[in-house]
Amino acid sequence: MNYLLHILVMIGIYLILTQSLNLVMGYTGLLSVCHAAFYGIGAYASTLLMTSWGVNFFVALIASIVISMLLSFVVSIPTLRLRGDYFVLGTLGFQAIIFGIMYNWISFTRGPYGIPGIPSPSLFGFVFDSPSSYVSLTTAFALLTVGFVYLITSSQFGRVLKTIREDEIASQAIGKDPLFFKTTSFALGAGVAAIAGSLYAGYMRYIDPTSFTIAESLFLITILAIGGSGNIKGPIVGTVILVVLPEVLRFLQIPDTVAPNIRMMLYALALILLVIYRPRGLAGEYGFE
Amino acid sequence: MLPQLLANGLCAGALYAIVALGFGIIYRSTGVFHFAHGAIYTIAAYLTYLMLVATNIWWPVAVAVALLGAAFSGVLAELLVYRPIQKRRASPLAALIGSFGIYLFAVNLIALIAGNETKVLRPGVDITFEVGSVILTRFQLLGFATFVVTLVAFFLFKKSRLGRLLTAFSDNPALVEVLGWNASVIRIAIFAAGSLLAGISAIISVMDIGMDPHVGMSALLISAVAVVVGGVKLFEGAIVGGVVLGIVQSLVVWQFSVRWMDVFTFSILVLFLVLRPQGLLGKKVRLEEV
Amino acid sequence: MDLSRRTDNVPTLEVKHLSRFFGGVAAVNNVSIAFTPQRITALIGPNGAGKTTLFNLIGGYIAPTSGAILLGTGDLTTRKPWEIARLGIGRLFQDVRVFGKLTTLENIVVAFPNQVGEMFWQPIFQRAQMMKMERPNIERAQALLEFVTLADKANTVAENLSFGQQKLLAIARLLAMDAKILLLDEPASGVHPAVLDSVMDLMSRLVDQGKTIIFIEHNISVVLELAHWVYVLDDSEVVAFGLPDEVIHDRVTREAYLGV
Repeated sequence: MNYLLHILVMIGIYLILTQSLNLVMGYTGLLSVCHAAFYGIGAYASTLLMTSWGVNFFVALIASIVISMLLSFVVSIPTLRLRGDYFVLGTLGFQAIIFGIMYNWISFTRGPYGIPGIPSPSLFGFVFDSPSSYVSLTTAFALLTVGFVYLITSSQFGRVLKTIREDEIASQAIGKDPLFFKTTSFALGAGVAAIAGSLYAGYMRYIDPTSFTIAESLFLITILAIGGSGNIKGPIVGTVILVVLPEVLRFLQIPDTVAPNIRMMLYALALILLVIYRPRGLAGEYGFE
Repeated sequence: MLPQLLANGLCAGALYAIVALGFGIIYRSTGVFHFAHGAIYTIAAYLTYLMLVATNIWWPVAVAVALLGAAFSGVLAELLVYRPIQKRRASPLAALIGSFGIYLFAVNLIALIAGNETKVLRPGVDITFEVGSVILTRFQLLGFATFVVTLVAFFLFKKSRLGRLLTAFSDNPALVEVLGWNASVIRIAIFAAGSLLAGISAIISVMDIGMDPHVGMSALLISAVAVVVGGVKLFEGAIVGGVVLGIVQSLVVWQFSVRWMDVFTFSILVLFLVLRPQGLLGKKVRLEEV
Repeated sequence: MDLSRRTDNVPTLEVKHLSRFFGGVAAVNNVSIAFTPQRITALIGPNGAGKTTLFNLIGGYIAPTSGAILLGTGDLTTRKPWEIARLGIGRLFQDVRVFGKLTTLENIVVAFPNQVGEMFWQPIFQRAQMMKMERPNIERAQALLEFVTLADKANTVAENLSFGQQKLLAIARLLAMDAKILLLDEPASGVHPAVLDSVMDLMSRLVDQGKTIIFIEHNISVVLELAHWVYVLDDSEVVAFGLPDEVIHDRVTREAYLGV
């Protein structure tokens, strides 16, 4: 039972991550390879606020959103002027830099030793320390996120984002400022990713930098490439499939020593086949066609 | 102290330059951001290991098999993945995602077969030579010598008819086709040659320091940074970028610590992207002209 | 949207001693033109003469090496493309550039300036107002589609329109953003003859309403039929200008442009 609840918690956290990346990649067309960095910034910001300052989880969560959004400008202001491959490379660079700081600034983050003993979230005396209570917490935030992304994309704002994705020059030609909209979308994506980071920290009660690597950023892109992006259901389909698939493999009694590799090979195969035959993914509206 | 550091940096940079040159040639002439270049590197490394340890074969045969395996894998990536994507006239980012898929598949296949743990080919300490005031290991010298040979071969090739064809193809593939060349054959040759270079760098490096399935990732990242630092528009950019990176890293390790090497490397990447996107060798480009 | 309403007080668009060099080579060299408001001006000349570069300079997509671009009393020289678009200068690109995945109707609705809901918090906190504003915008967009004879394509995804229909759509998009000065880069090229009539008819209707039209064109009969005034560019400079009839039959033009 607890095992099933664990999967539900992870689905909730990954839904938040993929929907926020969906805003950046699926709606705005920006292939950002540093989403895991903002996930990590969120996790570290709330963890440090809770463990060093004794701040309540929910206050720390809000602070981590703000911190992540502010730091997103450090990344977006130089990189959003770059196009195509160069934007990808720029975000890749920032992913590596931010990871390197988390890993090596030991006096601040404890680096590879990680931070243990993170308190469970509590609200008005109720402590979210059981798997079932945590499921309700992550599910609530996941629903909030889906609602938020739905509301802001089914709008004039979302329509402008799509024009930038389709043709940035034409978007300027009709009087929209692409840099402003891209910066906004990128910051919102970073802010929402920080929610996922905070929830992850409060759930695992231990974090270290290895959860926020380039590979993790690429994994998030894989989820969107397989499930699809540019609408709400694509990321949901992708997240459910990619979070549940490992458990299916376990059910098939594939030994634990080889299961991770077989899993990744299946993802990779799906990625290759979809990008060739169905670039918009299983349920998405947009792909790099 | 300083000459030794520069020599170490130069030898590391020489190997970077070789793998980066392969990446740069593919990127510049086909437009594919060949993420799977890292997988090719890993494949060459493990083929070498497999040949030397499992079959105990004469080492030149092992090297030849590894190089052929690398070239073959590169061609396979082009034929099975990039060509269908290119036929659809997809955005370059589609090829990048496909390339990432190849990388994931190959690296996990290798890990499945050979395991995740580090493999070492050369136990103990390497033989060293004294060259003036600096001390170099056998593999450092081998790496540097290979680099010089690669450089000479590359420049001879560039001056040849085929080399000029490659440059023309990079600038305008359609034109080369009009002149009667088959673009898909040229692309196959480019992937084979680029992968061969990845293989050369991989074999020397892993014979010296060993390997795990993820060695290719750092080789790829270094290649991408080297190409940007040197300049994307010129094939020589990757060479200059690789050598410069090797030396800078060596100095960073000396002045700060090996821990901060990656942060420095990628800060250099970001600085170049923002302040000098044309790289060290490139002429000033105005982004607005694109 | 009252499409029969005349546009008045269109300021004069003027370029003064405008030059642009690419690595020492002139693409536009010391060009000075004041475009007469509410008239159709044609730019003709051989490929590489600098016509599209001139449009790119006016639109703010590239910066001039020297010279100035003025709109009435305002200076556009250092403005960004989206600012210039908001000041009423619309651009039809040679390759059209519609938003492929958006429907024809969406392509137009998105171009209306200053919509409630464009700021990210508005869809959440001012959703009712946003929805209220959207309704008249959709009606206006439908009227515009009718105006450019695309009414039956409202829900077609733009990438599925023919090239000519995409041009009509792109022109409608310029009207939605309330452009008073239209820079049209080869509006007639690559268009099916039946649609070509629609494009030409549309251009004369627009100028009747008081818009300023500047267009680049290779098709001499289109120039003769539509243009009030013609500039000939060759080798990055203005080599002749005048009434279409005179210019087309002028010896200099024939040499530069027609090669006879």
